[in-house]
Amino acid sequence: MSLVRYELRLLLRQRLTIVALALLGVLTIAALVSGMAEVARQRAAIAAVPAAQAEDIDAVADYVDRTKDAGSAAYYSFHPTWDAPAPLAFAAIGMRDVAPYIQRVRALGLEAQIYDGDTFNPELALPGRFDFAFVLVFLSPLFVIALFHDLVSGEREAGRLRTLEALPHGGRALWRRRTSLRLALLWAVLSIPFVVAAAIEGVSLPVIAIVVLVTAAYLLFWVALAVLIGRLRWSSVANAATLAAAWLVLVLIVPTLGHVAINAAVPVAQGAEIALAQREAVNHAWDVPRENTMRRFYANHPEWSDSAPLGPEFHYKWYLAFHQNGDESVAKRVAAYRAGLEARDAAGRALGWVLPSVGVQGLLTRLADTDLRGRLAYQDRVRDFHARLRAFYYRYLFRDLPFGKADFDRAPVFEDVPGR
Amino acid sequence: MSVTRLIARDELRLMVRNRVAVIAFALLVLLTLVAVLSSWSHQRGNAELRARHQHEAEHAFDAQPDRHPHRVVHYGHFIFRPLGPLAAFDPGVDAFTGSSMFLEGHRQNTANFGDVRQSSLLVRFGQLTPAFVLQVVAPLLLIFLGYGALARETERGTIRMLMLQGATRGQVVRGKLMALGAVALLTGLPAMIGFVALAGQPGALALPMATIAIGYAAYLALWVVLIVLVSAAVRRSRDALLALVALWTVAVVLLPRVAPDVASAAVPLQNRLQTDVAIARDLRTMGDSHNPDDPHFAAFKRSVLDRYGVTRVEDLPVNYKGLLGLEGERLTTTLFDRYATASYDAQRRQNALVEGIGLLSPTIALRSLSMAAAGTDFAGHRRFLEQAEAYRYALVQRLNRMQAEDVSYADDTAVDAGADRRKRVSATAWQQMPDFIYTAPSGATLAAGAAPGLAIVIGWLALAAVLLALATRRLGARR
Repeated sequence: MSLVRYELRLLLRQRLTIVALALLGVLTIAALVSGMAEVARQRAAIAAVPAAQAEDIDAVADYVDRTKDAGSAAYYSFHPTWDAPAPLAFAAIGMRDVAPYIQRVRALGLEAQIYDGDTFNPELALPGRFDFAFVLVFLSPLFVIALFHDLVSGEREAGRLRTLEALPHGGRALWRRRTSLRLALLWAVLSIPFVVAAAIEGVSLPVIAIVVLVTAAYLLFWVALAVLIGRLRWSSVANAATLAAAWLVLVLIVPTLGHVAINAAVPVAQGAEIALAQREAVNHAWDVPRENTMRRFYANHPEWSDSAPLGPEFHYKWYLAFHQNGDESVAKRVAAYRAGLEARDAAGRALGWVLPSVGVQGLLTRLADTDLRGRLAYQDRVRDFHARLRAFYYRYLFRDLPFGKADFDRAPVFEDVPGR
Repeated sequence: MSVTRLIARDELRLMVRNRVAVIAFALLVLLTLVAVLSSWSHQRGNAELRARHQHEAEHAFDAQPDRHPHRVVHYGHFIFRPLGPLAAFDPGVDAFTGSSMFLEGHRQNTANFGDVRQSSLLVRFGQLTPAFVLQVVAPLLLIFLGYGALARETERGTIRMLMLQGATRGQVVRGKLMALGAVALLTGLPAMIGFVALAGQPGALALPMATIAIGYAAYLALWVVLIVLVSAAVRRSRDALLALVALWTVAVVLLPRVAPDVASAAVPLQNRLQTDVAIARDLRTMGDSHNPDDPHFAAFKRSVLDRYGVTRVEDLPVNYKGLLGLEGERLTTTLFDRYATASYDAQRRQNALVEGIGLLSPTIALRSLSMAAAGTDFAGHRRFLEQAEAYRYALVQRLNRMQAEDVSYADDTAVDAGADRRKRVSATAWQQMPDFIYTAPSGATLAAGAAPGLAIVIGWLALAAVLLALATRRLGARR
């Protein structure tokens, strides 16, 4: 034990070590604070939804109440959905800065609404976020390099190596001590602030444990690489240069090459084609007999087929029916598009098994539910909600029930994921 | 041969003997080639896809059957953002903005289907483009090749031997600069050749292309000077390497990520829901076409009736519903423009803040220079959005006018069995609608947008040169 204490005292006498550890600590804390601020901003934006929504829907209700027309209510009412950040989202913002986390939908064609984005500044999104995942994946290896590149070679260059090897408790035990001490220090500087932040954010214990273990494993990978290169008995300078080059290749170059390769290997039928086809299907309904539209709709939704036949006047049930027909006509394309996105995501994850940088980023964004899978899960919840909206309005339209002010309060409300 | 050139030649010979250095250099050239080719094929594929989609959308629009003009207002139009020729070198925000936009009446939609939401998580690690290679990778290679240039001589004491043999400090430093500068030139050359090949004929884009070439040359020159400066200022090679890698990390990796977070915390953006609700609120106070007692629309109706000297809308020679559409669209569009301008201005302030932080990191300055000159920065995207909005408004108002003039009020309000037929306008009308044509900015506009970034990079270069001159004076002094 006391030997480790001596090593610690020795280590902390080096200016480079002190500066590196302090800098890493400052960066970790800054990234956590920045991530927590971003998540707080997003939570505040979600918390502001009900007030704005109430104001908006009140005006629609005032207007619709004059006619009691359920169709107008369906047409003019936008219903909010939101994707509250998971507790760990502050540590890995993932796609939350470029994909919408608040989206309003109405009971019309969903495929024309669900791909809409929110306002964001693309120049700010371009370099990526400064979050804990970034500090861990991109920056922490550089600190490993700074602390480990001269572990053995530094002693050799100082002419102490043979003496150290000959000491009792020297040699292998000594290197083990020094390696684990440095690793533990780096790990502590990353993990302690993280655990504090995670506790504040209410992250569950198993998730905290996984992140802390992943942090250790990722550091261990870089330490192992540094030790391996140290075995080549090169000079400290050569070690540092080689390790920095390895960092460049593993963290920047291979992922960017992988991105190019994946997007070329997994072509995704462009989402724009869905939008074009859906619009064509929806608008075509104005140019064909309305009975055709209703027949097709009733075939897929027999529960409404006992509704009264259409008169010569415009009826919103026809309007909403052809919107739903339009959505259903592109269902295959939608499934193919989604499968393409999932295949790309899976390919990126597969790369994560061989590339620790990608693996850790993928794991953190998965735990934080801020990755593509999280985005698609949110889309699924929006789809479910939209189906409930349709059922709600259809009951009034297909049964010709009046839609009064009080009925606005009966509309389905989007439900949060439990635990957020 | 002059002393300076002798020293440069000696330094280069040493680099060539260093097998790792040669391999690293070869890898960089290879990476540049891959970047040029993949960027080129990606951009070409994207440009073709967008042109094809645009063509399909135009064809679909023209092929519409006889329709009521208001149906066409809702049928709307799809437009696709074309890519400038320089986007292959630096695609900038293209992957983040979405390339297609749906234009319709009463609504302002977002640009959708950006690559960033359609790709694996790798997209956030950066994109392999010639710009990325020169901004991020090339400086690190120069660091590896040059960190020891003077520190090595100091460490081993050979610097004093050089001086004993009659070389001045200035000659030594200039020789090292020349050697590393030659490497930098070779490093940048493949990307620049690719750049010229990608851009095709320079023509009108000569000015932004020259700006990009000068900007990257200044950036690499800056790194050469910085590397020699640090190498001159420290006593040991290892310290030089660690200091330079730290400098690179802060300037190239850290600050570009920190700056946006600072900017987005300092200047908040209003999200879409809040904007939509605010627009609806403002619209209700300006004039609510749904409200029969609305004062604005009551006054509008009176003014229309007075203008035509009639007492009932039925007696108007034009279709009152079309006039209402014109007025309603005018009102909503005023609000769209007001809110969009506010949002664009907030984003511009955010970007200005990032550019301010660019004073600390020449990489940020170079990046904004490069995107601005390539027309792929936020300003370029905004140009597209504003032209799209102008086109949307003109299209919708043209259709509203058509409803006012070509569909009679009696037909428009009739509900009998044949009314639907009578309300429709002949299909030939759709072909006469002008297509969306994006007006690309002039070369001078692009180059002007890049000027601030260029000034910062050149300012850095000048500062580093002065510091190097100061450090040169103390070179080899016993410490």
